[in-house]
Amino acid sequence: MKLISSAALLLAVIGVGSAIAQDTPFKTDANSSSSSANSKAQAVKYLFPEQVSVAAGKDAVIDLHFKINEGMHINSHTPRDKNLIATRLIVAEPQGMEIGTVDFPAGSDYALAAMPNEKLSVYSGEFVIHAHVQATAGQHMFEGALRYQACDVNSCYPPRQAPIAVSVIAK
Amino acid sequence: MKRNALVIVIVLAAVTVMVWAGVVNYRHRKEENAKLRQLQAMVAESARASGPADGSADIVMNPLQGQMAPTFTLKDTSGHKVSLSDYKGKAVIVDFWATWCAPCKVEIPWLEQFHNQYASQGLEILGVSEDDLDLDNKAKLAQQKQDIATKATQMKINYPVLIDDASVSTPYGGIDGLPTTFFIDRSGKVVASTVGLASRDEIEADIKKALSSGGKS
Repeated sequence: MKLISSAALLLAVIGVGSAIAQDTPFKTDANSSSSSANSKAQAVKYLFPEQVSVAAGKDAVIDLHFKINEGMHINSHTPRDKNLIATRLIVAEPQGMEIGTVDFPAGSDYALAAMPNEKLSVYSGEFVIHAHVQATAGQHMFEGALRYQACDVNSCYPPRQAPIAVSVIAK
Repeated sequence: MKRNALVIVIVLAAVTVMVWAGVVNYRHRKEENAKLRQLQAMVAESARASGPADGSADIVMNPLQGQMAPTFTLKDTSGHKVSLSDYKGKAVIVDFWATWCAPCKVEIPWLEQFHNQYASQGLEILGVSEDDLDLDNKAKLAQQKQDIATKATQMKINYPVLIDDASVSTPYGGIDGLPTTFFIDRSGKVVASTVGLASRDEIEADIKKALSSGGKS
């Protein structure tokens, strides 16, 4: 019996070991990618909160924190050129929760070196948007995405969506 | 006694299967690593062949370098069909851009000037718009195409502007960063490419390379 248990343990260990070994080359490759080479990745990450508590049936504000990759910027909510793609919040309103206005910060001025007089309105670094909500008693899931279009100093990338998920507990 | 023998047989069988699986796994990983090293060597060789960038644009490791440019047929902003094969014997720049791309607004006026300067030597330029299109909504699609045409007019683009229906970017390596520019010689081969805003001098050098290779100038 002991012999059978040992054999089973050995099988399990070898199985796990081989799975790790198989993943290694791909993990190494992905880790070595520079941000520029890995440009198809998200330029914006949702930071926090993951959970908030609000007063049931009363107006509340959820502050959503984001971080933009170093060396990149995204258009603000109010870009100056109508062709530029504004940063927007896309939210599916859950049952028992109303989402009102969403306040975006003002953008900062940014100009390409080759066009110093053409100022763009952008976000860079970390920023916060404020979502006004009202929820009935209970637990709700505030799910959505931040739609943005990012650029670095030489290139612009197609619009993408950074996912957001916040558990809202209304008491 | 019989039971012990059975256990030993089972253990031996299990160990044999494990060893066999390990050998197969090891061979597979070895082959994958060899393929990866080969690919990396090809990419590095391609980058060396294209010459060092002067720092303004990303170093391009484009697998299309030295290959025949993928052919395509797209509609221009007036709805006329334009094919890359229409420009056989000419040097062609294929410039991927979008109306929302700020660095493209820097590069495009340079391309317009180069078009004027080198057209008599056989240079043609095709601007390929990578703006999002809503193919399921006719009214929206018409508006999006109109917006591209309006922007091209505002920017005084003096070469055909084509609207990519998502069929061209993939064969050209899955365009992500804009602008992305391919320089194609008279025989249809890609002789240079840049991702991101390159310097004016680098673009002109690539144009000269495209004009001087692949056939009579």
